[in-house]
Amino acid sequence: MRHEHWLFTIPLRLRSLFRWAQADQELDDELRDHLERKTEEYVAQGMTQEEAHRRARLDLGGIEQTKEKCRDARRVNWIQDLIKDLRYGLRMLRQNPGFTAAAVLAIALGIGINVGIFSVLNGLALRLLPVPRAEQVVSVEQIFHGKFLRNAVNGGSLSSYSEYLNYRDNDHVLSGLLAYEPFVHATLGGGKMRELLGATTSCNYFDVLNEHPSQGRGFVASDCAAPGENPVAVISDELWRGAFAGDPSLVGKRIILNRTEYTVVGIAPQGFQGTEPIPSSFWAPITMQTVLEPGSDRLTADNLGWLALLGRVRPGVTMEQVRSDLGVIAGQMDQLHPGRKTSLAIRRATFLDRQMEREHLIPAASVILTVFGLVLLVACANVANLLLARASVRHKEIALRLSIGASRWRLVRQLLAESLLLSLIGGALGSVLAFWSFTGITRLVISHSPIPVAFNVTPDFRVLTYALALTLITGIAFGLIPALQSSRLDLNTALKEDGAHSGSGKRSGRFLRNALVGTQVAVCMVLLLGAGLLLRGLYQAQTVDPGFEIKGVATTVLNLMEQGYDENRAGAFVRELREQIARLPGVTDVAQAECAPLSHDFRGGLFTAPGRPDKVWAYYDHVSPEYFSLVGIPIVRGRGFLPGETRDAPGVIVTEATARRLWPGEDPLGKTLREGLPGSQTANAPLRGREYTVIGVAKDAQVAHLGELNEPYLYFPAGPQDNLRIYILVRYAGGFPPIAKGIREAVQSLDKDMPVDVTRLEDYLEAWRMPSRIVAALSGALGALALILASIGVYGVVSYSVSRCVREIGIRMALGADNREIMNLVLSQSMRPVLIGGLVGVAGCAAVSQVLSSVLFGASAHDPIAFISVPVFLLVVALLASYIPARRAMRVDPVVALRYE
Amino acid sequence: MSKPSDLVQGTLDMLLLKFLALEPMNGFAVSQRLKQVSGDVLQVSDGSLYPALHKLEQEGWITAEWKTSEYGRRAKYYSLTRLGRRQLEKEADNWGRLSSAISRVIKLKEA
Repeated sequence: MRHEHWLFTIPLRLRSLFRWAQADQELDDELRDHLERKTEEYVAQGMTQEEAHRRARLDLGGIEQTKEKCRDARRVNWIQDLIKDLRYGLRMLRQNPGFTAAAVLAIALGIGINVGIFSVLNGLALRLLPVPRAEQVVSVEQIFHGKFLRNAVNGGSLSSYSEYLNYRDNDHVLSGLLAYEPFVHATLGGGKMRELLGATTSCNYFDVLNEHPSQGRGFVASDCAAPGENPVAVISDELWRGAFAGDPSLVGKRIILNRTEYTVVGIAPQGFQGTEPIPSSFWAPITMQTVLEPGSDRLTADNLGWLALLGRVRPGVTMEQVRSDLGVIAGQMDQLHPGRKTSLAIRRATFLDRQMEREHLIPAASVILTVFGLVLLVACANVANLLLARASVRHKEIALRLSIGASRWRLVRQLLAESLLLSLIGGALGSVLAFWSFTGITRLVISHSPIPVAFNVTPDFRVLTYALALTLITGIAFGLIPALQSSRLDLNTALKEDGAHSGSGKRSGRFLRNALVGTQVAVCMVLLLGAGLLLRGLYQAQTVDPGFEIKGVATTVLNLMEQGYDENRAGAFVRELREQIARLPGVTDVAQAECAPLSHDFRGGLFTAPGRPDKVWAYYDHVSPEYFSLVGIPIVRGRGFLPGETRDAPGVIVTEATARRLWPGEDPLGKTLREGLPGSQTANAPLRGREYTVIGVAKDAQVAHLGELNEPYLYFPAGPQDNLRIYILVRYAGGFPPIAKGIREAVQSLDKDMPVDVTRLEDYLEAWRMPSRIVAALSGALGALALILASIGVYGVVSYSVSRCVREIGIRMALGADNREIMNLVLSQSMRPVLIGGLVGVAGCAAVSQVLSSVLFGASAHDPIAFISVPVFLLVVALLASYIPARRAMRVDPVVALRYE
Repeated sequence: MSKPSDLVQGTLDMLLLKFLALEPMNGFAVSQRLKQVSGDVLQVSDGSLYPALHKLEQEGWITAEWKTSEYGRRAKYYSLTRLGRRQLEKEADNWGRLSSAISRVIKLKEA
């Protein structure tokens, strides 16, 4: 009923909106008609024409007032008011082009960068998968609770093959459920050597996603009939064009992946990159997993999570129904595993679905959005300050409007409409800039990123909504306070005096302006200090002494298992290779390790020392005896490993930090160490439960994490199984290129299909510096932006207050104050909010800077150099920003100033 | 602002709706009718009448139409809409309940 009512009145409202001229004419006619009739009536009662007319008008109580009341009655209220306000606002903005340009620019910058970063986050985590009818596609994850141990590859929430089959065969809500193993590495052979990332998939993969290969076919059920029996593959359009030059007859031909021949059955449609942010180059049936990844058989491991699941929901089925139906299946499986309790996380599929990824993404995204939001805050404070300054110029106008009867609320609305107009213009400009620039910026960043991610940052509905919401909030945020402030006027004084010489403005107005400047400075301080700390961290990373000799070492990682080697062949290969490398001119030493220092390759586990209650998480490495001398880590006590010691040997070498941690004040030599906790197990824990005796103590070195000198680290002797995946470390004298060439040739003389990439050990440092380089650049750019905005803010406020103080300054000068005193007066007034804001910023940053510690590489989170130089720099800038207008104050001619107005 | 004194708030709307429910008429006729029917008890100035009519029109309860009257004069005639009729029923209902309640209270015998 209410609804109907509204529908009915809309045309009327619109009519009075669009045809107000005609409506007004009709009102005129109606009242005139009434007056005529009334007059006639009075005349009939015996009055004179004149008398009757007067009485009729009197009855009506004033024609204009009545008309106004009628208009009020039929006003389309806020729509009409808003349009009027906007029109008026537009006129005001046009009258002050300088102010408008400054405000719009500040808002455009603030909103632009926020919309830009949001479109990146949107592309990464909110956008649905780019497949047909993506809203039907859901990701299914298992979150385990309770005392239950699970083996996992690529994340603990993935499913095992048997679990996948269970869901697929027993659900009633999905039209199809697919499974795939992401990030499968393979080397493309056949003279086209290339390292590829792909996926093994269930054979309904392309059908469920509704992505049909542009040539050939997708997988059919028979491709997944038996393990290892169907070497077929679909390759990406990009790989087809890149490695096979778009060969039109490739379908049906064979390609080599990790030494096995696969028949290409299809080529994926152009632009299809799979369902991960890192594009897939190929897809193989899930049953080929063991062949593609030799040495692991995941299909039969019932307690191994390795498959991501995506389902297509049947039409008409709700998410709730999907959750409860699949939840029943999960519950049934829990029955088979004592202690296990599974809850399902089911959500519309995006590029980043996995619980683990989201747990990292959400805090990261909120930090990023906050930091970008801070810059917008500075921009808002700036515009608010401009508005406040301008509001005092508009005192008279506002007082006049209040005194002829405008309500305060009406006036606030008027002023808000102006600021909304500003923010809409600024927001539109900023968004356009963001859409235009962030696509390019993202492409640039991605092309420099070590991980080849690809995602779509073009704006969609969600980004537009975000931009609009942000724009409206911004408009209200910077407009509301000045509007409330300036509509609260004492009419008498405002109308009488001119405002221009009422000292330096009303107290509250001045307080607000100062508070806004203080906020800007505080935010700016936080951003710049962050950037400063990160730069210190980078400097630290450049100059850090990792505790070993990182220069003059070449390294290469060989994955022989992936290339189909077994332990015997791998052992022979490595032996032969090491001999060949050792014969290269300039090579002084060769060693091997499971993980090269700082290679981002980690092995770690929990260890206990019998008789001690604490468990220690330690990273460890399996190394050959030459390792310690090659990388220059001295053995400070006991001995190093001997040739012939293998994984079976009972000895372990601990670092000093480990010894301090486990046996403080005791001699670690001869102590025992147990790997793992009773009853615990992890997927790749070959050391489980074994006891080791400490045979030596190595000097601490930053081999696992750059900047971490004191983390426990253990060295075990390498055995034959370590040859299957191995880092060869080569110390050389002279130039790197000939050594690299020699190593490459040595590898390929032994196996021409072996992929080989030689790098310098010190190049690994770059990967460590990358995140802080990116964050430092980002926060530096944001800080610079905030600095520009804040100094404009300081400048504006000071020059405004100087212009308001001309008379006061004139009087002081007339009374004998000299330039210095005037300068001191102006500067001390203007620097107070800057100092307070700066202090707040420093304190705030000091309170939270600990979060940066992981990228500071040993620089303190309260690094004195950063904490002194940045505030000083900011103060100098603020001083400069107030000095320029303050100089104007000194040039005031007292005679002119006193006559002013 | 001259408020209809003596008139319980909100009842003017109801009275106007009622008049227009009887027959469509113009503003002048409404003012005449008000005077006739209620004598001088309900004093509604012309100055309040028109805004009230416009408000009813805005609410969609009555609609207006320009017609030529019996004397060949163009005048704005108001008539009740379906929504208006429903509104009238509602308000009359409320009024009935309110007035009977009040009169019950007034008629209470003093002890």
